[in-house]
Amino acid sequence: MTRNLPPVAITGLGSVSPYGPLAGIIPPCPLEPSAITAWQTNGLRRAFVVQPFRPASVVPGLKTRRLDRLSAWALVASSLAIKDAGIDLSQVDRSRVAVVFATAYGCVDLTEAFYLSAAANGWNGTDPSTFPETLPSSPASHVSLVQGLRGPNVTVSNKDFAGETALIQAASLLRHGQADLVVVLAGDALAPTLYAWYEVAGLLSPACYNSNPFAESAGFIPGEGVAAVVMESSSRRDLQSGARSGTRVYAQINSGRWAASGQRAEIIRQMLGDSVPSLTICSGNGAPCATSPITALAREVSGDSAAIIASQAFAQGLAGTGALFHLILALSSRPIGGQALFLATAGDNGFAALLMQLP
Amino acid sequence: MPDIDKTIVITGVGVVSPYGIGLECLQAGMLAGKSCLARTKDVYPGFEGTTARVAGLPIGPEDSSSRYSRTDQLAMVATHDAIANSGCDSSAFRESGVVMANTVGGLTEIDTGIAKDPAAWYRRPGGLLRGASYPFAHVADAVGDRFGIGGPRCAVSVACASGAMAIALAANMLLDGDAPIILAGGSDPLCPFTLSGFNSLQALDPDPCSPFDQNRKGLNVGEGSAVLILETLAGATARNANVLAVLRGWAMNNDAFHTTAPEKQGAGLADCICLSMEMAEVSGDEIGYVNAHGTGTPLNDIAEAKAYETAFRGRRHPIPVSSTKSYFGHCLGAAGALEAAITIMATRSGSLLPTLRLTDPIESSGIDWLRGEVKRQPLPLAMSASSGFGGSNTVLIFASGLS
Repeated sequence: MTRNLPPVAITGLGSVSPYGPLAGIIPPCPLEPSAITAWQTNGLRRAFVVQPFRPASVVPGLKTRRLDRLSAWALVASSLAIKDAGIDLSQVDRSRVAVVFATAYGCVDLTEAFYLSAAANGWNGTDPSTFPETLPSSPASHVSLVQGLRGPNVTVSNKDFAGETALIQAASLLRHGQADLVVVLAGDALAPTLYAWYEVAGLLSPACYNSNPFAESAGFIPGEGVAAVVMESSSRRDLQSGARSGTRVYAQINSGRWAASGQRAEIIRQMLGDSVPSLTICSGNGAPCATSPITALAREVSGDSAAIIASQAFAQGLAGTGALFHLILALSSRPIGGQALFLATAGDNGFAALLMQLP
Repeated sequence: MPDIDKTIVITGVGVVSPYGIGLECLQAGMLAGKSCLARTKDVYPGFEGTTARVAGLPIGPEDSSSRYSRTDQLAMVATHDAIANSGCDSSAFRESGVVMANTVGGLTEIDTGIAKDPAAWYRRPGGLLRGASYPFAHVADAVGDRFGIGGPRCAVSVACASGAMAIALAANMLLDGDAPIILAGGSDPLCPFTLSGFNSLQALDPDPCSPFDQNRKGLNVGEGSAVLILETLAGATARNANVLAVLRGWAMNNDAFHTTAPEKQGAGLADCICLSMEMAEVSGDEIGYVNAHGTGTPLNDIAEAKAYETAFRGRRHPIPVSSTKSYFGHCLGAAGALEAAITIMATRSGSLLPTLRLTDPIESSGIDWLRGEVKRQPLPLAMSASSGFGGSNTVLIFASGLS
């Protein structure tokens, strides 16, 4: 989005996270990791886990019995975001509503279940109802199916910037007239295979093993959840006229860039043009903001006067799919209005950056 | 004159298929009517069916910090082929983007033992690296890292429409100015996980498949990868690149009907076809050939036939349609990209490929089911249609030259 393209607005937020299922912003309060009880662990193991809940108690009539948890959470989070945006889908041309979903690991619960059925019964004895639900695109498909959304249905990923990629692809669909509304989702679920990988790789924080860890201890606390945002063209007539009751614009995305390498400060400055962000929202995927080069990059491109909102440990725990949570949590801190740079870095050169206007 | 900043062109095509490496190899095999489908027993113990396998895949370089799944390797071979055919070395692609589709990711590297005791499985030699290759984003990174491609990287997974959607999203990204060149395509290998899944759904034809035949029994799974080099006409002209085809139109939508079955009347696909023609500013009469999704499953093929009848209603002549999955099976996340490459090949050579083993086609007055010999005729515009589990559809329209 280096070209001068029309802005898009974020008008609805929804999430399923350790904070529970929520529409709108997440009330700012500290979050502690909790003990994993969903599977048997070898001693205390903690993470930012979503506590079990009945999806139908949040979205009446929702049927999720045979679905992966990720699909169920995507359905709940998208419903909450659509409600928060004040959208009555019966009044919308649903062939013009897209779904863009970002995930790193997809439906790991049912992928594990499929492997277990193969281990027990052989590859010729696997469960036919499970296989389609293992696809990474399954959560997005269920959102389209349940909500009747017939626009583009896209599932994307990126090792470090999956959530940012989804936001940028969603904005692109709107700008090219391929959709009028987009439900953007990002998230992942924890499962034994994923947690064990982090553990064997030695990436976990002492806080995963001990409820009284040393403050500022290094390492990573895995998290899970799905966040959803409703994105629409800023020029939509009902949005401009205020015809939809209670509708607000949480943020407006003006442009975005992401790359795996290159002169990132130069590329971001080029994207900013004459814009001078007064705020940088750092989404330090997997690493605390203060100890990562992201702060230096933020200062380099935005100047010393720009305020910085650091990412929270829970959203870091979602690694590449935490972007939407970073955004929702940053908005929950009621930042001052004006231009904001939403920034994520990875490795030496990789980055994702979005220029936003906050009301 | 076309707007050169908004015209998307193809300046390279790389392919690895059961015919071997390269588009020429694929073209020679398909024009000769050679089927790569064969009875297979060794994908997993107890499996007996028909598949199409890529033989003699050159293995890419690995070191102690990387492991490439077969999905990665297929994608890297196709990308190497695309770059080699573009007439440039990989340094020309430093600022380019990568959009790579797949459905299998690193599942080829994982066995059932992982679910029983994951920690013990990861502690085996190479276990962590095998696990690290699992995410479907790994393929985009494998391609990007191998060829020093530093622009945006995006992985796409929308079941069997993945490869085509990667190309559509890449086109959007070029128009947005995200990168000057984008390498886009798909890759998927044969894998016990997916074969077992389709087998459990009773979706496999044990014999070579017969798409669009009244007696069709199901699909065969194949493997392969195709990667297209996309750029704007302005960019291609500036670097004096050889333009192989023009991507005139693209559209994506969803049936919102069922988890695995297509909408019975093919309404979603029909809408997607109409959207792509609207974007390309062409009428149904101008499309000379449709490379169909044509899996060979009872539900897909009848819905797809109805979609073509609806979308091309009013045409002066029946629309020529074939399924090239009858040659080397359904390559899942790579299928849309491989079929895009075949459609480009068709427009360039003026060759309308028949569906193999199509003896008793689905009855349809609006469709010219291509069978028998290859039909030779000028083909200025052709379409490739893809659909997948979860209802996703993507349609691409290619032109042989600038109009």
